[in-house]
Amino acid sequence: MPELRRDPIIGRWVIIAVERARRPKGMRAGSSLAGEKECPFCEGKEAMTPPEIFAIRREGTAANTPGWQVRVVPSKTPFLKIEGQITHRGKGLYDVINGIGAHEIIVDTPQHIENIAELDEVQIAKGIACWVDRFKDLDRDERFKYVQVYKNYGSPGGTLRHARSQLIATPITPKRIKEELRGAKRYFDYHERCIFCDIIRQETSQEVRVVADADGFVALTPFASRFPFETWILPREHSCDFSRMGVESRLRLARMIKKILSKMRDGLDDPPYHFVLHTAPFRHAKAKAGYWKTIEDDYHWHLEIFPRLTHSAGFEWGTGFYICPIAPEEAAKFLREVEGP
Amino acid sequence: MTQLRRDPIVGRWVIVEDERPWRPKDFGVCPHAYEEITHCPFCAGNERMTPPEIAAVRPTRSAPNTPGWKVRVVPNRFPALQIEGELDRQGVGLYDRTNGIGAHEVIIETPEHAKDLPDLTYDDVRMVLETYAGRSADLQRDKRFKYMMLFKNYGTEAGATLDHNHAQLIALPMIPKNVLEELDGAAAYYEYRERCIFCDILRQEEEEKERVLDENETFTAFCPYVSRFPFEMWIMPRQHKEFFCYSAPQELDALARILKDTLTRMRRTLNDPAYNFIIHTTPNDGREHPEYHWHLEIMPRISRIAGLEWGTGLYVVPTPPEVAARYLKETK
Repeated sequence: MPELRRDPIIGRWVIIAVERARRPKGMRAGSSLAGEKECPFCEGKEAMTPPEIFAIRREGTAANTPGWQVRVVPSKTPFLKIEGQITHRGKGLYDVINGIGAHEIIVDTPQHIENIAELDEVQIAKGIACWVDRFKDLDRDERFKYVQVYKNYGSPGGTLRHARSQLIATPITPKRIKEELRGAKRYFDYHERCIFCDIIRQETSQEVRVVADADGFVALTPFASRFPFETWILPREHSCDFSRMGVESRLRLARMIKKILSKMRDGLDDPPYHFVLHTAPFRHAKAKAGYWKTIEDDYHWHLEIFPRLTHSAGFEWGTGFYICPIAPEEAAKFLREVEGP
Repeated sequence: MTQLRRDPIVGRWVIVEDERPWRPKDFGVCPHAYEEITHCPFCAGNERMTPPEIAAVRPTRSAPNTPGWKVRVVPNRFPALQIEGELDRQGVGLYDRTNGIGAHEVIIETPEHAKDLPDLTYDDVRMVLETYAGRSADLQRDKRFKYMMLFKNYGTEAGATLDHNHAQLIALPMIPKNVLEELDGAAAYYEYRERCIFCDILRQEEEEKERVLDENETFTAFCPYVSRFPFEMWIMPRQHKEFFCYSAPQELDALARILKDTLTRMRRTLNDPAYNFIIHTTPNDGREHPEYHWHLEIMPRISRIAGLEWGTGLYVVPTPPEVAARYLKETK
């Protein structure tokens, strides 16, 4: 069973693989890159994955057979285990939770395509529909506090070149999310306004950092970007929880994602990228009462996309102080001018 | 001039290159090799290729900017921050910005091109550490600088752009976010228990022993219980010490021994990995910080940091620190 350990100084939780520890040999960066062997995420290879949890498929087709458009399966090598009760224990100064959680793979397409920028918006929207469905389902599990949806594209250690996103449900709220939640709450307590809405207002009136603004979604390069060409996509309409998006909004979000990822592919020479969805944590009965009193009003879900263009160095890791070699205004201008799809 | 910008949501400061922004084509996508250079500016004999030196260890009293040195400090040719000027804090609507004022120095740790700290003698490593401490203490006199960040990038995966072994010192006009978090956490602990949390961690680690790699009269090296990276290692003074830069000569001597040995273990266990190390020390903000305890963090860059870690700060560590410590201890 993996463990979740809390840093006693700053409170960060870390997942530690206690059981199947990797030995030093198997660990040089990028060494996990497998050759192009048979892809378990392609149509027809359903038996190569654990049984599916959810799929959007042609009527009349059975689970774990061809005929699907998007498919969700448990990770074969999960960071966290789904079975068991959560137990908290102390170990001297330290806090430990057993590593309970969900780790699922959302396969974006039955075809062997790596970048979702190549898919059409209807197909991308189906992937988003999976996020929503899985999010709502995991929300019913009171052991979990947060669901993290993320995607890694083209990173050197990536093993299979088939478009997919991943989802992790955790019994804790990760640190970056907590910081954002606290920052947003502090702002709201004082101003009684959502800081993200204020950012959207300021950015869309100044326009220097806006990459695209269409159909109720704004894509911008944040004022204090950590990474070159970092881009956020935010819904114009205030909402703390992405899972409330209707079919129409999902399609419009898909269109914006396609636009931004295509601009990055064409303008930045097809860079690897990561993207992460930040949304409000679960607010079911077991979550801390009181803490979330204003969350509906103070938090605003969004997507963060980071193309991987620089190696972050010791300075960034050690300080949390990032050096961004291009001003976000320049980055936005450049991305705006790249022809869209 | 660069700018410092504060994220309005989480309060993180970022240095933004405003004057000479990189163009998209300047970003080689994850380059795996150093640029070919025929003359390394950090090698003995090429002193004129760097800006004039700020300090150097010259046992033979040779003239500045000539060969004969063991350790040499020069300004960074492409500084992230500039030494002259005022901060000029400004609000831009919601946002905060200041000018990028600070110091950015390069500490060349050896005149020989292909050597890293484990290849040097204990004595040479001590001279390097004395230089780190001396430069930090000197910059600390400038009250504009609130934090001295000493760090080292070894290997391209760790962000090094020149393969000649060097460390860097950046004097910052504000306390960086990770250190602030450590300070806040340590202060909350101190307020309640009137003890330093780092001293307590050390006591627990020394008692449990399974994560301890090495110790001498002054320092302990261990893999922290909550490592973010596989084979992460910390070296910490066993006595409560707030500032690295005021370390006594015999302390730096003990640090040289444990640092060289620890880096040697890492090199042998992990087959000469890329790595970063960082010295976390008490800020120079004019306040008392009895809660803080300086330490050195070593992070081998052997696992991939992907979307999950970047986006959420949730790290997945494939080798528990207990296991890592065992491998490292078995190597001498």
